Amino acid sequence: MKATASLPSPERSAGLLRAFGRGRRLAGRRPASFSALARTERVALWAAAIGLLLAMLSPGFAPHGPTTLVGVPLSPPSGAHLLGTDDQGRELLARILYGVRTSVLSAAVVIASGVIIGGVIGLIAGIAGGIVDAILMRVTDLFLALPGPLLVLAIVGALGPSLKHTLIGVAIVWWPWYARVVRGQARATMALPHVEAARLAGLSRLRIALVHVLPSSFGPVVVTASLDVGNVILLLASLSFLGLGSPDPASELGSMTARGLTYLFTNWNVAVLPAAAVFILVFIANFAGDAIRDLVDG
Amino acid sequence: MARLILGRLPALLGVLLALTFVVYLIDAVVPANPVAASLGAGASHAQIVAKEHQLGYDKPFYAQYWRFLERVAHGDLGTSLRTHNTVASDLGRFAPATLELALWSGVLIIGLSLVLGVWSASGVRGAGLVRAVMAGSASTPTFLASIALILIFYSKLHLLPPSGRTSSGEATGLVILEDFFSGKFNGMVGAIEHVIMPAFVVAVGPAVAIGRVLRGSLLEQMRQDHIRTARSKGMGELSIIVRHALRNSATPVLAMAGLQMGLVLTGVIVVETVFAWPGLGLYASASLVNSDFPAVIGVTLVLGAAYVVINAVVDVLQLLADPRLREAR
Repeated sequence: MKATASLPSPERSAGLLRAFGRGRRLAGRRPASFSALARTERVALWAAAIGLLLAMLSPGFAPHGPTTLVGVPLSPPSGAHLLGTDDQGRELLARILYGVRTSVLSAAVVIASGVIIGGVIGLIAGIAGGIVDAILMRVTDLFLALPGPLLVLAIVGALGPSLKHTLIGVAIVWWPWYARVVRGQARATMALPHVEAARLAGLSRLRIALVHVLPSSFGPVVVTASLDVGNVILLLASLSFLGLGSPDPASELGSMTARGLTYLFTNWNVAVLPAAAVFILVFIANFAGDAIRDLVDG
Repeated sequence: MARLILGRLPALLGVLLALTFVVYLIDAVVPANPVAASLGAGASHAQIVAKEHQLGYDKPFYAQYWRFLERVAHGDLGTSLRTHNTVASDLGRFAPATLELALWSGVLIIGLSLVLGVWSASGVRGAGLVRAVMAGSASTPTFLASIALILIFYSKLHLLPPSGRTSSGEATGLVILEDFFSGKFNGMVGAIEHVIMPAFVVAVGPAVAIGRVLRGSLLEQMRQDHIRTARSKGMGELSIIVRHALRNSATPVLAMAGLQMGLVLTGVIVVETVFAWPGLGLYASASLVNSDFPAVIGVTLVLGAAYVVINAVVDVLQLLADPRLREAR
């Protein structure tokens, strides 16, 4: 687990800033092309794209529904049920496919909310400067100083366990890094001549913010987000494992693993396979994230 | 040194206060009305108003927060709905096991991250393999690692116990150290057998993350002039790393170590649940599943405070390791 592992350090943010700001265009460097990436990175991007497609289409070719009873409970993998059945006699393969889709969609929701909340706060801080900037960034720092995952436990404990509440909880603590990235980018861009020109031309603050300042943070935000996907999937899976996700008939990889623990010594596949699916997802996401970073950073 | 620490105190207190405030907010949004719950369904409106007044729920927001602070400061965290003990006494009972697990995980984190970082940064044999293993374990969910170890070392090889903890060590709760100092080596071996798998699983994620940062920071150090000088003197690669590059790499490594603490906490909760390790994590997950909200709030406060304090310590360590940071403040 490394939810914060790949987040940009201040030094890296400075690097990003240079790479994506004016520096690159002045130096005449262009973003790396797909074919210039290392082979492992190209493979990772393809795997991520195919995996994403499979995850979204899983209902189409899953052999059964995730809650359909298809056979004898805890039957081992066989031709009829490729990965075996769970303790209720539901097809494990179908449940894992649906679980993968839930994982991917949940991670997308958390990251999107992080980008939006953090983006708005960072943009306001970066553009307003002065006291507004100081207050917003102190609050952001405070959130960074608190143990996010632990607060999620308390939030979901308060709201009651369900996937929706878990997503709300994680979203509440997941925005500060994005606020910092966008704010840093916005402050740097505000000092550039084209913003001054826009201001002299009498454009409204909102227009300057959205049209002239915001686009400069797209690159760094895409990089941060793509490196973040794996961590979010891991965190959500752990929370689901602890019983914070939706209750049983829902197919979440974490809670499926937790249920399977009862049969660990007789039918290890019931617990291990959903957990292995999480591993594969995160592994692909981490490598693809690295590839996307190299693509954007050049 | 004393001034460094004193200088950090106001920020530490501020963050601790923020922690209590956030926990208070979470506590305050619980949908269940504690007054109605404590009186039962047949309570009249007048009774509810009287009880609200008695418990202080009709007071303004800041007064209620102040009362919450007072309670926390006196160690009054309410009563667990599940165990019917006070949350404070439950926490006291479960804390030592977590402390022991954290201690040995910490030892493993330091050892593993040093080995991984130095090994993968040096050009010596196997560096590529170490990097691949690091990339893989950074993607492994804690529960998968736990299950895999149990299946291999208990189910297949019958080498290690799958769960639980030996229950000697009454005085401090640190079973291994106590047995070592009182000469009970059989007990010590048993305790080590129980702690080794959970401690390893807790440690591996942070160790890899820290090892990766250490590798990056070492590689950067290795391009410096003084390293080239050392090389031209004919020093061996490994002793250059250990003698000349390691200390200069400390700052980013310590920063990452602080960041990893939040994950260690969730890791501990998952690991204790899988291995039935009777600590705060097991208590937390059992409380969560049973909607035992006072207990969840108690654990959040205690582990959260530990996190904040450890990060403050890491901050001071960074200042000690790098004099330039001291100048900058």
